[in-house]
Amino acid sequence: MKSSAFRKLFSLFSSLIFLFLFYSPAQGAESSAPAWFDKNRVNVFIVLALFFAFVIYFINRAQKGKSLFVRRIPGLDAIEEAVGRATEMGRPILYISGIEDMDNLQTVASMIILGNVAEMAAAYEVPLLVPVCQPFVVTVAEESVKQGYAKAGKPEAYNPNNVRFLTSEQFAYASGVNGIMLREKPAANFMFGSFYAESLLMAETGFSTGAIQVAGTANIHQLPFFVVACDYTLIGEELFAASAYLSKEPKLLGSLKGSDLAKLLIMIYLVLGVLFVTFGIDIFLRWVFVQ
Amino acid sequence: MVTDLNTAIWNTLAAFLTFCIFSFLYKDNPFYKIAEHIVVGVSAGYFAVILYWNGLVPKLWNPVVKQGKWYYLIPGLLGLIMWTRFSKKYAWISRFSISFYMGIATGVAVPLYMQNFVIRQLSSTMLPVHFKNSVGFFNLLIIVGVLCALIYFFFSKEHKGAMGSAARVGIWTLMVGFGAGFGLTVMGRVSLLIDRVIFLKNYFTSIFGHIL
Amino acid sequence: MNFYERLMQLDRRWIYLGVAIAVTIPVLAPFKVPVYITPEAKAVYEFVENTKPGEIIFLAIDYDPNAMAELHPMARTIMRQSFSRGIRLIISALSQNGPGMAEQLISQISKEYNKKNGMDYVYLGYKPYPGITILAMGQNFRIPFPTDYYGTPLDSLPMMDGVRNYDDVKGIISIVAGNIAEYWINYANGRYKAKVFFGVTGVMTADYYPFLQSGQLLGLLGGLKGASEYERLAKQEGVATEGMSIQTVAHLVVIAFIVVGNIGFFMSKKKKR
Repeated sequence: MKSSAFRKLFSLFSSLIFLFLFYSPAQGAESSAPAWFDKNRVNVFIVLALFFAFVIYFINRAQKGKSLFVRRIPGLDAIEEAVGRATEMGRPILYISGIEDMDNLQTVASMIILGNVAEMAAAYEVPLLVPVCQPFVVTVAEESVKQGYAKAGKPEAYNPNNVRFLTSEQFAYASGVNGIMLREKPAANFMFGSFYAESLLMAETGFSTGAIQVAGTANIHQLPFFVVACDYTLIGEELFAASAYLSKEPKLLGSLKGSDLAKLLIMIYLVLGVLFVTFGIDIFLRWVFVQ
Repeated sequence: MVTDLNTAIWNTLAAFLTFCIFSFLYKDNPFYKIAEHIVVGVSAGYFAVILYWNGLVPKLWNPVVKQGKWYYLIPGLLGLIMWTRFSKKYAWISRFSISFYMGIATGVAVPLYMQNFVIRQLSSTMLPVHFKNSVGFFNLLIIVGVLCALIYFFFSKEHKGAMGSAARVGIWTLMVGFGAGFGLTVMGRVSLLIDRVIFLKNYFTSIFGHIL
Repeated sequence: MNFYERLMQLDRRWIYLGVAIAVTIPVLAPFKVPVYITPEAKAVYEFVENTKPGEIIFLAIDYDPNAMAELHPMARTIMRQSFSRGIRLIISALSQNGPGMAEQLISQISKEYNKKNGMDYVYLGYKPYPGITILAMGQNFRIPFPTDYYGTPLDSLPMMDGVRNYDDVKGIISIVAGNIAEYWINYANGRYKAKVFFGVTGVMTADYYPFLQSGQLLGLLGGLKGASEYERLAKQEGVATEGMSIQTVAHLVVIAFIVVGNIGFFMSKKKKR
């Protein structure tokens, strides 16, 4: 099986290399009339095809139960450390999953991490508070926490009142969360998901209460605020990597490995391109040039 | 500065609401709440009206009723079934419209994103490195920054040895970027304050300027 | 509690008061600060300056009133510069709460220069889903906008005669807040190869420099500083220029707080050890 998959990938590669060698997109592009195939963008097509092939290949491998190595994300250690601190102090843990609904991938990733945090919280017998911003997320969050408690072998310790819906209004939610931070004084605050202008309002309040804070978001514009106000921040793709690492879900793992391979090729291509351009040869540059 | 009564009344209201919002800096209070709710209510109401007159009327009502283009009812129906999301039993029907929209949006966006945000950026990073002037050096800085940031987001290998050092440079590059973003955000937020302060100054000059 | 620890516990309201005082003083006692002109701001100015009278520029006013402070001065100055040079404008407003605000600005400045709707400018207004609207305008402005903002069919406006899509305008200047900017780069430039220039909020500025370097963006005005550069270039000094002195003082205060805060943080950490 393994060799046949390799053969398929090899044949795809070789045909693409063939296309690469015999096609130069920067030449002869003058027609702008509608056409079925835009010859000027063959390079885009090849890159996309390669990327899809990588992802499908790795998902396939993961589904067959082959082990795919993903390094441990340091942020996950920070989560464990924070849970440990809450246990020592005998104070609760607060988990915030962002303000977007389940159709946002970051919320999905956050729910996976929530399951893991719930497992740790159950094992150490620390209360876990989950104030939620979207009604639909509540059901998923309840399920994640319940499963986490069950995994830790303590399903009876699960308290449904701790997963609460606050409000879907952004700033009202932020003030609700801030209220919880000030009243219940959690020792660890986790903020994973899609955040907007409320990020700093919550992270700053959490900082003022002296809690250990670990955050993660792929909303680049909010990252600076988390970086300054939290003890550890999962930056961009690390959030998805952490959820793939924890869940071992084939689709997540496969996508992560596929994009890793794509990144590796981009790096190699970039280094070669720079070297050649430095010596005045633009073959690599010309091929990725989009008119 | 002389203002007519109408403008003066509106400006007084605007100045009052500005102070209501500023009062939050001291403490949450009912004045802030009133102003906040007015903003949320006005923007939601305004958006509903805008959507009706700029979306529904010219894009569905006029084509179907005035121009007899009955096939516009198909997207209209796709829009209508989105309302089933409010029912637990029939919410699944809305998935037809969502999949239709997702399919088109993905088809349009993915190749263009790959082209404009990956390939185009890749080609613009292929810069010649030299030490004849500062440009060549800055090019090197950009290339090293891009490579190291990519290594930081590479999850298939442990960050140890050379890989670890490169990832560290990567995270420093990201932090410099975040610092720039943070600084510009401060500038943006101060600009909002400046706008309000200049507005208040003009307001007070217009009201009290001519009494004095 | 020692001095540094007390510094770390400082009520944030003192910081607000500090910034409020810093902002108020230059308003009451104004002074001027020099403004350094960046090449990316100059590129936008020169694009408008090199456009011939009678030619068309697409001006997109893609922001809500909450970004007015930073972006209105840019839109105002560019509109005045264009009208004073006899350049014709096609204007859109793709942000949901922006069309009324844009209309107000257009009617004010068109009156100043005695410009006629349909002859010297066309205001398309708003349509939902900016990405799809931008994509459709690449084929024909009439697809998303069969009529202008006031309900007049585009075909009956003399200025739109023979004007179909981005190919018929010299370039696009989008004064933009939020992710609409991405659509202009991805669709108008990426798909239809239109020349795109931006005026963006301070928060967004850093994100768009890579596109400037790659040539996907030909000019960039960033935040109030960008607006003040443009006002200075166009010799129309206004709110943004006035704001620069206030901004300078406010930044100095913020920097002072950052320095003091960091000293307090490190010293209290040292004490704890």
